[in-house]
Amino acid sequence: MTENKSRLVVLEAVTAIVFLLFLFPFFILVINSAKDAFSITQYPMAMPEKWSLIFQNMKKIWTSENIRYPSSFMTSTTVTVLSLIVINTFSSQAAWVLVRNNSRISKIIFLVFVAAMVIPFQIVMFPLLSWYRKIYVVTGIKLLRTQGGLILSYLGFGLSLSIFMFHGFIKSIPYELEEAATIDGCRKDQVFYRIIFPLLTPIHATVMILNGIWIWNDYLLPLLILGKGNKVQTIPLAVANFAGAYVKQWDLILTAILMAIIPIIVFFLFAQKYIIKGMVAGSIKS
Amino acid sequence: MVMTALTSLVFAGGNNEAGTSKGATITLMQNKPEIDGALKDYAKIWNEKTGNTAVVKSVGGSSSITLGQQLKADYAAGDMPDIFIIAGIEDYKEWEGIILDLSNEKWVKETSVAFTKDGKVYGFPVAVEGWGMAYNADMLSKAGIDPASLDNYEAYRSAFEKLDSMKDKLGIDSVVSMAAGPEMGWVTAHHNFNSLLSNGLPYGDMSVVNQLLKGQVDMKRLNEYADWVELLFKYADKAILTTGNYDAQVGAFATQKAAFLHQGNWVDPNIKAANATFKMAFAPHGSMHTATDGIFVAAPSFYVINSESKNIEAAKQFLNDMVFTQEGQDFMVNKAGMIPAYSNVKLNPAGQLSKSVQQWAAEGKVYSWNQYNFTGDFRDLTLAPIYNQFANGSIDKAKFIELMKKAFEGLK
Amino acid sequence: MNKQRKTNLIFWLFLAPVLFTFIMVIVIPFFMGIFYSFTNWSSSARADSTLQFVGLANFKNSFQDPSFIYSFIITSLYTVLNVLFINAVALILALVVTSRLKLKNIYRVGFFIPNLIGGLVLGYIWQFIFNNAIPALGNIIPVLDFLSNPDNLVLSKVGSSVTALVIVGTWQYAGYIMMIYVAAIEGVPESLFEAATIDGANEFQKFKNITVPMVAQAFTITMFLTLVQSFKQFDVNVSLTAGGPSAIFRGTPLFGTELLSLNIYNTAFVKNMLAEGQARAVVFFVVLVVISVIQVSINKKKEVEL
Repeated sequence: MTENKSRLVVLEAVTAIVFLLFLFPFFILVINSAKDAFSITQYPMAMPEKWSLIFQNMKKIWTSENIRYPSSFMTSTTVTVLSLIVINTFSSQAAWVLVRNNSRISKIIFLVFVAAMVIPFQIVMFPLLSWYRKIYVVTGIKLLRTQGGLILSYLGFGLSLSIFMFHGFIKSIPYELEEAATIDGCRKDQVFYRIIFPLLTPIHATVMILNGIWIWNDYLLPLLILGKGNKVQTIPLAVANFAGAYVKQWDLILTAILMAIIPIIVFFLFAQKYIIKGMVAGSIKS
Repeated sequence: MVMTALTSLVFAGGNNEAGTSKGATITLMQNKPEIDGALKDYAKIWNEKTGNTAVVKSVGGSSSITLGQQLKADYAAGDMPDIFIIAGIEDYKEWEGIILDLSNEKWVKETSVAFTKDGKVYGFPVAVEGWGMAYNADMLSKAGIDPASLDNYEAYRSAFEKLDSMKDKLGIDSVVSMAAGPEMGWVTAHHNFNSLLSNGLPYGDMSVVNQLLKGQVDMKRLNEYADWVELLFKYADKAILTTGNYDAQVGAFATQKAAFLHQGNWVDPNIKAANATFKMAFAPHGSMHTATDGIFVAAPSFYVINSESKNIEAAKQFLNDMVFTQEGQDFMVNKAGMIPAYSNVKLNPAGQLSKSVQQWAAEGKVYSWNQYNFTGDFRDLTLAPIYNQFANGSIDKAKFIELMKKAFEGLK
Repeated sequence: MNKQRKTNLIFWLFLAPVLFTFIMVIVIPFFMGIFYSFTNWSSSARADSTLQFVGLANFKNSFQDPSFIYSFIITSLYTVLNVLFINAVALILALVVTSRLKLKNIYRVGFFIPNLIGGLVLGYIWQFIFNNAIPALGNIIPVLDFLSNPDNLVLSKVGSSVTALVIVGTWQYAGYIMMIYVAAIEGVPESLFEAATIDGANEFQKFKNITVPMVAQAFTITMFLTLVQSFKQFDVNVSLTAGGPSAIFRGTPLFGTELLSLNIYNTAFVKNMLAEGQARAVVFFVVLVVISVIQVSINKKKEVEL
């Protein structure tokens, strides 16, 4: 018994050390946000002299007219939230019909979706722009320079992985549940929305986190669709304004990074309790 | 209900800007984020005075996105700016189809460094920049070295040797702050490379350039140049040389850890931020055994006007106003800290290195910038790795010369 | 018959939004991209810029460029190392986080947090660490002073730079893959473990005979994800090494840690050869599909065996 206990203590200690080392880069990020640009490059490991500099830097960024941080924060939030809702709704319902329908065409469609995960962004990057422009010229629907176009694109790029994950999870839900509901008189779509959709909570959470992280931090797609320096910007675009061809304003960059990371960490800390509960609940079921 | 409202908001996008002002709206895209703030402030002033709206977009960053990529993306999206930047002939060729002829503009007569092709003027010079070997004057006098003597290889070699032996006394880590790392290829393959192309030659002389473009290499000149590169690498701080970024390289000079800096007058704002007040100026590059008494001065980039723009007149006016109005001149020199390329502008920038450039230019001791006659691909992807290998110590001088020769021969 | 038609209607109705978007956003641009790779398209305004068909010229040129071949080799090396490392670390972390440690919930969250940071930013932070912070550490702690020797700078040599890429790639991704393993491990019913203990199995036997098979299905997914992600790596490559220290390959100096995505990007934008960049992207895609298909089928077979 004692041997087990001392093994546990050692494990605890080792893990704690590894954990702290793991978070070392964050430590670097934080202490350097409180320095001016020059000190950062000359004395990277030194503790900051005035911690209040962080708030000065943050204020600089928040009020800068060039960066328009508050508005890009709003945009990032809007785009991310709406994209997540759209992706989860449409992907889950698509995955469900693909699982329940055993035809060959269903299998082919699923495979095509999964295969698309492999497509490198470079192939479609520029043609996407020309294509969106053609659509505008022909139909007048504006996809470029709008949040709507960006959200549509995120659905397009995100549905492969999302459908893949929903598909795997739905396969494990017993069909008897649905049969029972149909016997009770539910229409097919009611079966999905009333029975299946709620059961998918843990996988909804997982998919949301994965897509959310990627969308919140994404740089290339908003850059191409929203364009740099236009009215509507997301946070990564705004942060990039600090990096020059030769000159990088490190103090502002690091602070801006910090300001971009904090909301997502806070959100994650709140959500993760719920997610872990969901994941555990999901697994106990099986 | 909420969804519908949100949806309409989301698809409305961003085209209802300050478009309620009378007059035209023009977009200017440039690649110096360090002057982005000053330029936007000036644009506001210009907007109020003229009733037009100038929108300034700055793209930059070797790693985030380059101007070239952004322009291509905007062109594909049908959103090409009205005014944008080209650096030289290669950029010009890329956009030749839509660059407007500006030969008859008022500012053309005031400058000698506009971008021209086949006798026509296409590019508005943004500023005048120059580089040479920036030196710490106080330190050199302490070491008993006269900067005026530094104009050839031998002089530099003995100066570097002397300074190196006095490292502890002077408190420096290395004699010269030089960078050749992966992100700093522009220091070696653009600027230092230019010494090979134009040091010691009359301004505008393209003889070496044309030879190299044909694959013919003047071995004597190349050998002397390789000696110079070897010297710089030998007396440079190894950490900065192999992995240092721009801030590290300039910082070393600014904090007096190095006596020389291989950069140009654009570092003035960084020097200022470091509170470096010691006396400094430029000396020529010692890339030849004969004396080369001059530094490299030219316009680094040019504004060009999109010939497909719907607001050509407003764009032309924007450029003219920059040169001929008091606010425009104030922006160029005082706010953006640039050396004006126009003889009618009488203001002078505050930085020591900028003043040094102006001094050399006033004495007519200038050599041209010829590196942009070689494609960006050639400089960044072919030459830069060669310099990097040499700096790393992976190849020796003989191999460096051989690889450079091979690279040029591949151009024909 | 009515029920069948209704089922079909629901099938297509539910599928419609994703199918439509997929075609609009992925399929059409994809085929356009393939088309462009056979032309001289450049999305700029060169004087001679009529679109011309050039056949296989872009592909031929790409394969004759040493940097393209080198990129394939170095990317493959990086991918193999990365996949191994990430999965090993993630599995260990998953075991730790599902064990009886007191702080395991904090660890669970903490190990995942690096994944929340975008790749570009991650690379910059780590570049700062390798170039500035670690040498500074060497100055502070005497025993580690070899760290401040400029010859030992991690990002100055190709070999150690590739290692750095793997370290950063692992730091970024291990937490995410860990979550997948955690879900698999927690999917193992407690009863199975209890039964095994009653039967006298020790920790290792329990791990080998219960945990591993249950995790096998997760393995297929994680292998696939890490394989694809490593092969496609761009952000960290650009910000950490910018293509990296130089190397000589087939007598040509080139960038030593230029992974495929960066190589394609440089071809398109630094060399201003957009169409050739497209061609390289097509080759990249084909190779990746082949590799993934092979990987998934091997894993699926193993799944069944276990």
